[in-house]
Amino acid sequence: MKLYLWSGWAIICRHLIELKRYAFNTLSSLATVYLVFLLMFFGAQILAGGEAMFGDSLEGLIVGFLVWTLSIIAYSELSWSLMREAQLGTLEQLYMSPAGFRWVIVCWAGGAFLMSLVFSVPVLFLMMATTGRYLRLDILSLLPLLLLTVSGVFGIGLAVAGLALVFKRIQAAFQILQFVFVAFLFAPSEPVWAKALPLNWGTELIGRVMVHEVRLTDIPGTEIAVLLANAVGWFGAGFLLFSLLERVARRRGLLGHY
Amino acid sequence: MNALAVEQLVKVYGRGRRTVRAVDGVSFSVAPGELVGLLGANGAGKTTIIKIICGLLLPTTGTAEVYGAPSAHKSVARHVAAVLEGSRNVYWRLSVEENLRFFAGLVGQSPRAARAHIRELVSLFGLREKRGTVANKLSQGMKQKLAIACALVRNTPVLLLDEPTLGLDVETSYEVRGLILELAEREGRTVLLSSHDMGVVEAVCRRVIIVACGKVVTDDSVDSLLSLFRTRALRVALSGPLEEKAAARLREEFPGVRTSGDHGAPALEVELEVGQTLYQLLDVLRSCGVGVEEVARVEPNLEQVFLRVVRGEA
Repeated sequence: MKLYLWSGWAIICRHLIELKRYAFNTLSSLATVYLVFLLMFFGAQILAGGEAMFGDSLEGLIVGFLVWTLSIIAYSELSWSLMREAQLGTLEQLYMSPAGFRWVIVCWAGGAFLMSLVFSVPVLFLMMATTGRYLRLDILSLLPLLLLTVSGVFGIGLAVAGLALVFKRIQAAFQILQFVFVAFLFAPSEPVWAKALPLNWGTELIGRVMVHEVRLTDIPGTEIAVLLANAVGWFGAGFLLFSLLERVARRRGLLGHY
Repeated sequence: MNALAVEQLVKVYGRGRRTVRAVDGVSFSVAPGELVGLLGANGAGKTTIIKIICGLLLPTTGTAEVYGAPSAHKSVARHVAAVLEGSRNVYWRLSVEENLRFFAGLVGQSPRAARAHIRELVSLFGLREKRGTVANKLSQGMKQKLAIACALVRNTPVLLLDEPTLGLDVETSYEVRGLILELAEREGRTVLLSSHDMGVVEAVCRRVIIVACGKVVTDDSVDSLLSLFRTRALRVALSGPLEEKAAARLREEFPGVRTSGDHGAPALEVELEVGQTLYQLLDVLRSCGVGVEEVARVEPNLEQVFLRVVRGEA
């Protein structure tokens, strides 16, 4: 138990140290994300001639942008960092953890989630201040929903990291996927097939909490179960693919080389 | 129980025509507390063997065990720490102390429990002044020392060092080999050290395994290998220059003779053949009027032994 506790703590601490040490990098990433939102918001206003074009969907846009920000940060923090560790040679050291590499990955995802929250919360406040639409922040309802929503993205991140271990140069696919997330986010959530997409159903439920001021306990159990199944499914599939590809990398001797 | 046991290890990369047999039936064992050198040219299979023992690479066939546990199992990490390819093992964005704390945490040590050990390692490796410095800003030698310290902070009984002195200057290399020796002797750790640097292996290890083309060609103690290759080679320092006539006479009587040194302090190197004696050599020199300052036996070093072994001369 001590082993799992302290190894997890060490991994999360490392994330936070790097976040703090490279504060300028952190702030500039934050500014870039906010700038993209400003371009979208004011760009659409100029083209359509006023805020009226958003109507009720403005809150939806804020929620969608929040989830997208959270997702791309968590996704890159997991998959990009795994690739970088392989490049630096530290990935092999992480493999030699007595708690097992799977535990390392779980803690890593935890660290990435924390990091994405640190980024997303200021961006959310800036978006609300810019648009003048203040959404409800029920932390207790939001945190589990955000975690479950982002879990699907972690699954995709793991799959991409596994592919990078074996095939190395996959930066293009990595970047394209970030925009595929937008399609997942803004696809209609009513059809049954949409509930199987990552991000989509979770964003719908987050929207209910933030926009319609619904509590987590008021959401029907079946709807939470769908989100849970979605999160477990995507994370599990990504984890499985990563484990398979990691085995291939270990067989071919690709773990420490990039 | 052996600390390390490698049995009929085979590692084949690629398929069909592009197959490379990196390790080909390697077997050896290392007892607890032993300091063993793994020598081989580039591509001989040293790193592959080390990575299989760490569990970072899966063998094609054969087994590698650490204290009885199969190397592919995660429990091996409780017994083994490794420094792979020099300094490619530390987080360049973390400071010396943060790196050590992270690696101690990775094996389940609380920051409080690891504090004393980290302080001791920082001091032992001469990193006290740099403990708050980010690894990226350290010199190559310091990074290498940090990488070794990060492996040691895990407190494992077995330490695998792959090229620990790679890219280091002579002074730092001497320092690092002294540290390895001190740690092995003081803490009784089992060390498997792979290196191109024969000096490091000769100074640190008592036993050496020489690998060539993926196979073990020799597994013996350093002393025994050196004595096996101890020849009847002599170095004779002359008191004056060697005339051409005398040189011709020497070449006639001792075909393998070589002259070295400048004109001010010439010397001869000769390997006596069966039936030849030192007295015969001295007689020839005296008869040619050449004075002798000093006669010494030429001792083989591990580098010469290694070359003769891999060339199949023994």
